Amino acid sequence: MFSTDHKVIGKQYIGLALFSVFLGMLLSLVMRFHLVHPDTKVRLFQMLWPEGAPGGQMTPELYLSLMTMHGTIMVFFVLTTAPQSGFGNYFLPLQIGAHDMAFPVLNMLSFWTTALSLVTLLLAFLVEGGAPLSGWTAYPPLSGLGKITGPGQGLGQDLWILSIAMFCVASLMGAINIIVTVIELRAPGMGYFDMPLTCWGWFVTALISLFAFAVLLPGGVLLLLDRVAGTSFFIPGGLIVNDQVQGRSGGSPLLFQHLFWFFGHPEVYIAILPGMGVISTVLSVFSGKKVFGYKAMAVAMLAIGGLGFVVWGHHMFISGMSPYSSIAFSVLTMAVGVPSAVKTFNWLATLWGGRLRFTAAMHYALGFVSLFITGGITGLVLGQPGLDIYFHDTYFVVAHFHLIMGVAAVFAIWAALHYWFPKMYGRFLNERLGKIHFFLTFVGVYAVFVPLHFAGFVGNPRRYPDFKEYEFLKSVTGLHMGVTHAAYFLAAVQLIFLFNYFWSQRRGAVAPGNPWGATTREWTDD
Amino acid sequence: MTNVARTGQTLLVVASSMLFAAVTSAMVVRRGIGGDWVAPELPAWVWATAVLGPLASWLILRGWVRGAVIAGGLLVGLQVLVLAELRMAVIGEAFLSVLVAAHAIHAAAGVAALARWGERAGLFWHFVGALWIYVLFLFGVWA
Ligand code: HEM
Ligand SMILES: [Cu+2]
Repeated sequence: MFSTDHKVIGKQYIGLALFSVFLGMLLSLVMRFHLVHPDTKVRLFQMLWPEGAPGGQMTPELYLSLMTMHGTIMVFFVLTTAPQSGFGNYFLPLQIGAHDMAFPVLNMLSFWTTALSLVTLLLAFLVEGGAPLSGWTAYPPLSGLGKITGPGQGLGQDLWILSIAMFCVASLMGAINIIVTVIELRAPGMGYFDMPLTCWGWFVTALISLFAFAVLLPGGVLLLLDRVAGTSFFIPGGLIVNDQVQGRSGGSPLLFQHLFWFFGHPEVYIAILPGMGVISTVLSVFSGKKVFGYKAMAVAMLAIGGLGFVVWGHHMFISGMSPYSSIAFSVLTMAVGVPSAVKTFNWLATLWGGRLRFTAAMHYALGFVSLFITGGITGLVLGQPGLDIYFHDTYFVVAHFHLIMGVAAVFAIWAALHYWFPKMYGRFLNERLGKIHFFLTFVGVYAVFVPLHFAGFVGNPRRYPDFKEYEFLKSVTGLHMGVTHAAYFLAAVQLIFLFNYFWSQRRGAVAPGNPWGATTREWTDD
Repeated sequence: MTNVARTGQTLLVVASSMLFAAVTSAMVVRRGIGGDWVAPELPAWVWATAVLGPLASWLILRGWVRGAVIAGGLLVGLQVLVLAELRMAVIGEAFLSVLVAAHAIHAAAGVAALARWGERAGLFWHFVGALWIYVLFLFGVWA
């Protein structure tokens, strides 16, 4: 259990992410149900959350706590763990010819700190008041004052912050491990530009993590102090909550937003860059060609990682920042489009003229490219301050980040699983089930998230527990009904994957040593 | 020192620097816009602790690790004394507390590493010593 073997730890991280992704999905189903049936009483809700759903009627606070936990679980415990720590741990040492990670014990500690952090987060469901309400972004003052701002804002929010702080520490340790492994343990004669792009993905992601989590950690600590030690880092003076003056002075909620998004934007690249590496490999192997523009691909990753640190302001266009700053952040944001486009075109060029083999992994890789383009284009829309002022905090943003961050990154995980399963378990994931799952999921995600852009067009706000009071949202009632049903469909077809994943570990077709005819070392070394 | 140990410590130094830079910039912003900033007063003896870091570094270089551990441990103890005096409700002192506490954690880790790995953990300790001078400078000269 407390193994220090990188392969075991990699599988542990993947297992943790798998548990988390299904839990997060269940929470999202409950939310989607509530959005379209806000007045329906459900016995199960009352059993699960006696305080949050008295008589089975979900309170707005319960909705917000489900939303917070969904987002936190997905962003941190799925998208930050599986692609980087899961596959990175398993395959980075193999691909660069190292025996293990540079610091195996530290590696083990990183995993168990992450696991403890997940347990801490989930405890929030069980404590008095339940889980916090302030979203995965935890903006103060809501998150900074304690119980008075709502159930879940007491102990639940404390646990949330503790969990994230632990996650930061674990991620910093993991990042150091990966960077040292890449720098010091490459096989003799292997230069940086001889590494597969997967390794570049993990390397750049680790560099980003090193800087990003080192900022989120103190941000979280300051927030916790505002809650438990009566400081005023983020709580403004004269604030009145529920008719009570809060007796603080001079704090700035916007300061927290800066600290958060300085981490938050790079975080989205932490989620996607390892996937980009995997996709490059899968596309190239199943096109029977080398990656087109290898060096440009590696440099594009570095550029994305670097630029990622200077665009955080695009999450704060409506914060009252000066229009000059807005323009600067906007231009820099557009600039991220350049390396992103380089990558996209190089993927297409890799396919061009290749002898394509449409394996399941290849399907997911192509799906990833599709989703990355769809989600990336709306990023350019949101990067315009003038448009973002309208779209901010609407379902348009929800659609954008789910497509590009949520779904694209998860497609990369599926591509990686189908591709590397033979190495990890000596057997194939069932190809036919994989393809069926791919097509149904692909249709499902577009059916869920494309309509949400239109909800954004009419100004449908996000983070609202229901829309029944708003005349102007009557026009999207049908749309939400459709989305909810698409979400049920999407969730149902995930059972195919779940079955395939566990069944194939025991019964899948036995795989030969290098089943796909790849050229990277993990297939020949042990 | 092996390359792995050196690179590992260097990265730890990078991450810690980033952490202190984040708190520093938060402090600069908070001081500028809060309108309630009062520079915290430190007792005079605190400035003398600035020498403890470099002293320990010197002892490490002379190969007397146990002496370095004692000097480092003394620093941590004195930092705890400083922390006990600070009031969290006053924003300047709250920032000072955060920085001193964060440093004390680093220093304690540095001492533990010296006790365990001896000179090989020296690189991190040199950083810790310099970092303390930075924290004192921040409050003594600037804040
Ligand atoms: C060219 C590329 C991209 C651009 C120009 C872009 C732009 C933006 C902008 C301007 C917002 C803020 C919208 C608002 O809150 O009003 C946003 C939100 C978001 N983006 Fe992107 N983005 C890009 C790529 C990505 C990628 C690659 C990911 C993830 C892998 C991602 C994930 C997110 C997330 C999670 C949010 C929402 C955060 C929240 O408020 O909860 N974006 N994006
Ligand atoms: Cu962003």
